[in-house]
Amino acid sequence: MSDQRLFTAALLDPDAPCPTGLTTWNGSDLARRFAVYRNNVVVSLIDALADTFPVTLELVGDEFFRAMAGIFVRAAPPTSALLAEYGEGFPAFIERFEPARSVPYLADVARLELLRVRAFHAADAEPLTPEQVARALADPERLPALRATCHPSLGVLRSRYAVVSLWAAHQGIGDLARVDPFLPESALVVRGGLEVQVIALPPGGDVLIAGFANGLMLGDAAALAASAHADFDLTTPLALLLRHGALCSLN
Amino acid sequence: MSKISTSTTLSATALALALGTALTLSAGMAVAQDADKEKCYGVALKGKNDCAAGPGTTCAGTAKVDHQGNAWKYVPKGSCEKTASSTSPTGFGQLAAFKEKKS
Repeated sequence: MSDQRLFTAALLDPDAPCPTGLTTWNGSDLARRFAVYRNNVVVSLIDALADTFPVTLELVGDEFFRAMAGIFVRAAPPTSALLAEYGEGFPAFIERFEPARSVPYLADVARLELLRVRAFHAADAEPLTPEQVARALADPERLPALRATCHPSLGVLRSRYAVVSLWAAHQGIGDLARVDPFLPESALVVRGGLEVQVIALPPGGDVLIAGFANGLMLGDAAALAASAHADFDLTTPLALLLRHGALCSLN
Repeated sequence: MSKISTSTTLSATALALALGTALTLSAGMAVAQDADKEKCYGVALKGKNDCAAGPGTTCAGTAKVDHQGNAWKYVPKGSCEKTASSTSPTGFGQLAAFKEKKS
């Protein structure tokens, strides 16, 4: 192993000896100086995860979160210098993390928070204007064959748990004690302007959006959603998408 | 009205009605609200600058102690304990402690 590899490996392994070949400028204890550096590396990465997953942290408490994040950090250190993107594998890690089993919705809440960070950093795009929609409406015969494109920040999470309500309750919206975590919800995450929005999708809304994202024609995407959910109502998800600037073109 | 080929295809009329109503419902779309804001480049989320110069970046005196060693005695005790659950017999207040890992 190269010196550099040894050095990085020792940074993430508290039991590894201090790498050889190091010197201190003032002759202070090498092992102690290295321990400080080792600690800072792990703590700063845990802090980065805590910033990305604030509701996940609140759900399990600071101590539990930091212990769990510490294990993740050592097992999966960043592969990119962009800390904003760090934590991609954290939700899947949580799902497999035995001690978190008692909070089954934790991984999905983390997935939602990851979508929010992605939306925050996604490219800007001009949302569809009311005039463009009106123009499409002027030729209704062509409507079913039109295709909509989604905003680059758009993300959808289909969950077996009440992810949106749980997340919202931690933003002071609604009462946490009244949220039943076991009611399935689908979340739409989008940043039409500057603020990332988290919106609960009506049944079938996720299917409709997936259809748009996959390049299906309007009529086909709507039919797919209707066949997936008997009580699918096209108006509501369309209104949500338009209001939050989640669609960028309709051609 | 156009001829509808199969029952699974939504008619143009139904689509137009839905989209028209959606347009009315979404009047004053979110875009308009951003008109008075200006985009500020180079603004990162807290702690998400490239170096994440966190606490204790320079010296031992300010370093947060990493509780890895004794962290295992912790159990989830955040707001999940306050989260209602109709399907859980115990609720989330009685979480089993997990095993202390050998270091």
